[in-house]
Amino acid sequence: MAREKSAMNRRQFLKQSAAFGLGSLMAPAFARQVYAASKDRVAVLHSVSADSLNPYAHSASPTYGIWQHILEPLVEVDYAKKEFYGVLAESWEFQGKKWVFRLKKGIRFHNGAAFTSKDVIFSINRMKTDKASLQRSNFRDVVEMQAPDDHTVIIATKTPSAVFLDRLHNRFMISKAAADKYGDQMDQHAIGTGPYRFVSWQRDGNLVLTRNDDYWGPKPEIKEVVYRKVGEEAGRVAGLLAGQGDVINNVPVDEIPRLESHPRVRVEKVAGLRMYFLAMNCTLKPFDNKLVRQAVNYCIDPQAIIKYIYDGNGYMVDGPVPSHVIGYDPNLKRYPNDPKKARELLAKAGFSNGVEVKLYFSPDRYPKAREICQVIADQLLKGGIKTEPVSQEFVIFWGKDGVNGGKLPFYYVGRPFVDTDTFYDQYFHSGVTKRIGYSNAEFDRLMKEQQSTGDQKKRVALLQEAGRIVMEDAPFVPLYNLAEVYGVARNVIWKARPDEKILVWDMKIRS
Amino acid sequence: MARMRYLKIWVGGAILLLLLVCGLVAPFLAPYDPQEQRLEHRLQPPSRGIQGSDPHWLGTDNLGRDILSRIIYGSRISLLVGATTVVLAGFMGCFLGALAGYFGDLTDEVISKISEIFLAFPFLLLAIALMAFLGQGLLNLILALMLTRWVQYCRVVRGEVLSLKERDFVVAARALGGRDFYILFRHVVPNTLASVTVIATFAMAIVIIAEASLSFLGLGVPPSIPTWGSMLSEGRSYMYRAPWLTIFPGIAIFVTVFGINLLGDGLRDILDPKLRGQR
Repeated sequence: MAREKSAMNRRQFLKQSAAFGLGSLMAPAFARQVYAASKDRVAVLHSVSADSLNPYAHSASPTYGIWQHILEPLVEVDYAKKEFYGVLAESWEFQGKKWVFRLKKGIRFHNGAAFTSKDVIFSINRMKTDKASLQRSNFRDVVEMQAPDDHTVIIATKTPSAVFLDRLHNRFMISKAAADKYGDQMDQHAIGTGPYRFVSWQRDGNLVLTRNDDYWGPKPEIKEVVYRKVGEEAGRVAGLLAGQGDVINNVPVDEIPRLESHPRVRVEKVAGLRMYFLAMNCTLKPFDNKLVRQAVNYCIDPQAIIKYIYDGNGYMVDGPVPSHVIGYDPNLKRYPNDPKKARELLAKAGFSNGVEVKLYFSPDRYPKAREICQVIADQLLKGGIKTEPVSQEFVIFWGKDGVNGGKLPFYYVGRPFVDTDTFYDQYFHSGVTKRIGYSNAEFDRLMKEQQSTGDQKKRVALLQEAGRIVMEDAPFVPLYNLAEVYGVARNVIWKARPDEKILVWDMKIRS
Repeated sequence: MARMRYLKIWVGGAILLLLLVCGLVAPFLAPYDPQEQRLEHRLQPPSRGIQGSDPHWLGTDNLGRDILSRIIYGSRISLLVGATTVVLAGFMGCFLGALAGYFGDLTDEVISKISEIFLAFPFLLLAIALMAFLGQGLLNLILALMLTRWVQYCRVVRGEVLSLKERDFVVAARALGGRDFYILFRHVVPNTLASVTVIATFAMAIVIIAEASLSFLGLGVPPSIPTWGSMLSEGRSYMYRAPWLTIFPGIAIFVTVFGINLLGDGLRDILDPKLRGQR
């Protein structure tokens, strides 16, 4: 009997294959309809996608942007005001070694369950313990979490952590009720509180979302969203021009004129959060000498790179950090471009015949890295520093024999950040990473102090003081932030955000 | 028929010779330093000098470097890598192939199996893997290409040696008391040279393209050395705006490979024993 059931007879087989065949013939016709921007549907051709349905198995800004349609964080950043505002959190309080969060009331998950403090604790615990989680380190200081009532969460940290809101940025909340119901299958259902519900997902294919009509906040205009992964730049541009997608990200600057002259699309630009810089490892020769590091700073002219290589689509960093971040100091200026001064410093450091160095970079990871490093080599040469650019595969560049093992003396790299602490902590705070081998007791003291200071004004002042030290010691050369460039169908009204997120609920369709 | 044959050799040889001269006297031929960047003059089209500026016969690239000068200097890398690889791979392949063919048995078994392993990988894929592992550099590039090219020589020489070693002159040499290595490298191997020459010329064309491909992928020599492949790669993103960045290095690669293939074709017509009978 059982065998009879599982077997497929000829008639069934013919019927099903006819259906498949017909379906595949009709698919292109459907595809045309799918990709036309309307209030019913917007298609985003994206350079990345959700690589799995595990909401914590990644830590990349554009991917956060995709997930944020389904799941929501406690807090989000207002980039214009440079401060945090609550999404699922109503308010919060910093009490020394404790953070107290009050949650908004009346919010429900897509499965109907109410959002409570238990869900917050469950989510953070999963981020901390899930083996696939890449967001674990944000909670390394958390020692205890309590839920005194349904709408209050108390999070205790080992030491006072004033920067905890930054760690909570992009940490999304999932449903404990869904976990109880589906167990280890819960990710397949992707249940959150967000303005969109999960419909379907294929690896390296489409992620389809539909509007959550019971959303607690303002209702988005667009009903259905398709995120489609198109890794190749040229593929995304072609897709947009052919009308297969309505929004694309990471448009190469060389394609901007072509998109701008097209009748159906426009270009959307905004200064990105990723700051590019040259890192010098202070434990490796010749960069163990402060004078050499300062000389390198005097050689570099980021304006020339922005003007000629990026066609003006970049913004020079005029101090240690860009002007749009928390902790910026308007009174602290970068080293001026002065190759003569560089030569003097080199002579003082005992390199009167010049010095030879290698500049490591990974092509394709950062736009135009190969060209940039050749221009930088030319600028350094004018100051008496003979530089050979060395190109490496990203896995090698970033691996234990590269940046993260602290083995590269001199390299070109970029780091997105909103709060100066994120950058300083990762690169310059002793013992946090090996990336740059910098250590300064006074700097460390200031970093520790600002990390436990609740008063934002005082914290900024401490960061500015730390900035002066790191500027004098010069373990890096700040360069620029690049424009995030998007191609957008003309009937889509949308303003790009600096954080690489494409949020469809911000979009309107011009009718 | 015969004239046609020599025509191929003449044209191919002339192109190769021209290239050789280019590479040798590059510093005198090139109008500019190939590395000199003048960003304010970037992406100039080919011209005899726009509004009193300096002439750039083939235009300037994305960093304002003279393309003609870079192509002239680039010929050095192509030829150097091509010739060195072909010679080194030739020595290695011939030596191992001769041993395998002459001694047979276990020697043959081991060498043949190793060469089959190398043959099992697609040639360029193996070269890419080796370069990713070894890192950038001229020596590494030559090493990687040599390790991927020796097999062809090895197979051909082994086959030839197998048939040659049964021939009367070899038997005679052995009867006279010649030692194995003496017979092998004095009497047998020189008789394989005709085929080896033909393989070498074709291999050189392949290696030049492989070098360009690896440089195109950013796996060849460091960016500080101009090569045709890296010029193509860097010019790629300017295809719409400044097509001369890719057209001229492309032509250089095409002409070179065409010339060498012609030469190889001509040589084969003369040297190939099978074609010899058709005269």
